[in-house]
Amino acid sequence: MNIFLYLDHNTPLHRLDPRTKLVSALILFGCCLCFNHPLFLAVISLGVSGLAFWSGSLSNFWRLRFILLLLFLFSLLLWPFFVQGKTFWWAWGPFSVSRESFLYGLAMGLRLTTFVAIGLVFLSTTRNEEMTNGLIQMGIPYPVAFALSTALRLVPTFVGAGATIIQAQVSRGLDLESGNIFKRLGKFIPQAVPLFIYAIHQTNTLAMALESRGFDPGARRTFYYEPAMKKKDWLVLGSFAVLFCGLIYLRLGMALGVVFPGRL
Amino acid sequence: MGPAISIEQLTFSYSGKESPALKNVQAEVTDRSFVCALGHGGAGKSSLCYALNGLIPRFFRGTYQGRVVLKGKEAAQQTVARLSKEVGLILQDFEAQLFSTNVELELTFGPENHGLSRPEIERRLTHYLNVIGLEAFRHRQPATLSGGQKQRLAIGSVLTMEPDILVMDEVTTDLDPRGAEEVLALAQALRQTGRTLLMVVPEPEMALEADQVWLMREGEIVAQGPPLDILTDLKRLKSCGIKPPSFLELFQALNWPGQPLTVEQALALIRDHRLDLQESTPSSLSMAQIQENSPPILQAEAVTFHYPQIQEKALQGIDLTIREGEFVALLGQNGSGKTTLAKHFNGLLKPGTGRLLVQGKPTSAYSHQALAQKVGYVFQNPDHQIFARTVEEEVGFGLKVLGRDTTTIKKRVTEVLEVVGLEGSEKRLPFTLTKGERQRVAVASVLAAQPQVIILDEPTTGLDYEHQVSIMNLLKDLNQKGHTILIITHSMWVATEYARRTVLMKDGTIILDGPTRRVFAQETKLAQAALSPPPLVRLSNALGLEALTLDQMVAELSSIIPQRNQENKKI
Repeated sequence: MNIFLYLDHNTPLHRLDPRTKLVSALILFGCCLCFNHPLFLAVISLGVSGLAFWSGSLSNFWRLRFILLLLFLFSLLLWPFFVQGKTFWWAWGPFSVSRESFLYGLAMGLRLTTFVAIGLVFLSTTRNEEMTNGLIQMGIPYPVAFALSTALRLVPTFVGAGATIIQAQVSRGLDLESGNIFKRLGKFIPQAVPLFIYAIHQTNTLAMALESRGFDPGARRTFYYEPAMKKKDWLVLGSFAVLFCGLIYLRLGMALGVVFPGRL
Repeated sequence: MGPAISIEQLTFSYSGKESPALKNVQAEVTDRSFVCALGHGGAGKSSLCYALNGLIPRFFRGTYQGRVVLKGKEAAQQTVARLSKEVGLILQDFEAQLFSTNVELELTFGPENHGLSRPEIERRLTHYLNVIGLEAFRHRQPATLSGGQKQRLAIGSVLTMEPDILVMDEVTTDLDPRGAEEVLALAQALRQTGRTLLMVVPEPEMALEADQVWLMREGEIVAQGPPLDILTDLKRLKSCGIKPPSFLELFQALNWPGQPLTVEQALALIRDHRLDLQESTPSSLSMAQIQENSPPILQAEAVTFHYPQIQEKALQGIDLTIREGEFVALLGQNGSGKTTLAKHFNGLLKPGTGRLLVQGKPTSAYSHQALAQKVGYVFQNPDHQIFARTVEEEVGFGLKVLGRDTTTIKKRVTEVLEVVGLEGSEKRLPFTLTKGERQRVAVASVLAAQPQVIILDEPTTGLDYEHQVSIMNLLKDLNQKGHTILIITHSMWVATEYARRTVLMKDGTIILDGPTRRVFAQETKLAQAALSPPPLVRLSNALGLEALTLDQMVAELSSIIPQRNQENKKI
């Protein structure tokens, strides 16, 4: 099983400098925050989907389709109950749903999934190491960047070990499918303790391997993948910045794309 | 030339431990020589390796006395990172050593840390990709490589730092036979390049090519010298918990002259001394050992299975019947489908097509709990299941979730602990036990539910010889008490010594199935699955004998040539 999200293609997005991708992703996050009207957000979502298609990362979207769908549905179903609109559709006691709150829920659903989608496109096109390098070039100290990327790297390892541990305990008769929440919590211990011990052991070995391979957080080091900002990187960043300013003008200057004016 | 490594009166105790891990170690390694270290589990082999690259005392704290001098520099005065230019250390656990997202970056990590220029990194990358034979995998994720390739990559990632001294700590232990071969071949090739090489090896046969062999016991080097001197002292080898070379044991038991270490040497000696043996292929090997009469307990009928996102089917139509009371070894390379098949038998995996029956009933008709009482499954790594504060609680866990009352649990726990030889350890903390003992706790915890069938995934991996023998004897006992045993193993001698039936898998199919003796007579078929019989069985095959074990061979040979034996005794 492929445990990383990175997809080894050679698309223009892959070839961009990691810093460009990181800043662009942040700008896109910002763009999502500009509006709370579903139509406007849908346009942004469509744009991000285009990027996903262009960078060949749709297979990752397919892998995570349930999570994406779940996020969308949750927002769509829950948000309407927490905001008050004017055009009431339905009310029961303290609960009510209005046209505005429904639209807001839809917008929030789109916003949340688009957030995840942006992250997904970023991770599908950027190597762990490239991201680390990008962060370092942006002034993050090497030990911090390295710790971050190592933490990311270890997640799939622990997920794999967790699966084995569950199998081992199920083989001993542990029944994970029944019981109320308290019983289920009790069943958590036989899974958590071995995983915890495994994690300690694993990180210890990793630390030994790192030191044995000359890792010294304080020392000067070189990078084999040396990211360099090219003309197209600046072009991409420039375009995104212009886009962002434009969107902010639409929202603040022209008050467009808004269901609830006071809200993000 | 001065020594590459000189260890002077080194004593080290890990902090918090009373007995020292290394005791007055005194040794020297000449430049460009090849040293192999052997010893029982806990003999201090790994600690010695750590002391050579500075992990002891820099990473592992404790009391350190004596000196380790590497090419004139004292190890304890350098940081591990600085020492990595002189000494490269490769560990047993290749999974935990690899952390990059592709092969290229794994190899460049060391040179990057040393602050080398890009052209220099590029040069080393190209060169060492070639040395470790992974050019074609340059952009692959390490996780997608085979075990042997991963360990070669781990070695490569140290080589790119171009250290003069290489220290390898049991680098073949976690690998299947093919992977181990690949890694040993790489080590051989590296020797030719003028590096000093120190390898901790699990079996004496791997130390034959060494210039020096160190024998370790309880933190001390008890003997050092050329392989012939060290490996021929069977008594001393045994006292260090090492499986003696089979042919030496055989020749000594038969009182034959000579000290052969390889099949070829043994055959040549037998020929030279005209020990009156006809070399032939085994013909009428016994079939009687298979149990045709007892009822089937595990049945696979045309079982196929494939993992999501992998095109190739992991099982391609398996038909297999295992009867009550059998002792079966399941052999094959990693990825041949052994574990996948075994996990079907206790319902962890459900067949894609075909049927899987346990006592005539499909596994899907059982709940996990009901199946756990019929088919016990012991995972390879006991640490994947141990969680409790006491051995007693750990072993009784299965019974507790099955809802048994405390008196039954208590009684049963006492019983099974006695069976696995851990009586009196009820109150001990499982994590403080040795690996061999933890393995026993894992077996006991599965046994407690009294399953008829016990499946064990690699029961001997990572254990030293003594512990391997003791766990296998335990299984033999259980088998004699009526349990059906199925082991998945890479260890050929474990299969020939203990299993009466052997099933050989390759690419998701069964390519050989029959009495162990029969299966191991088919060397070409075994070679197709990149396996070969253990040395003793190869000799047995070459001489046309029935024997699978040392005792059988001694008995068979002495009955064939009693006179010759007598004559030799007189000399």
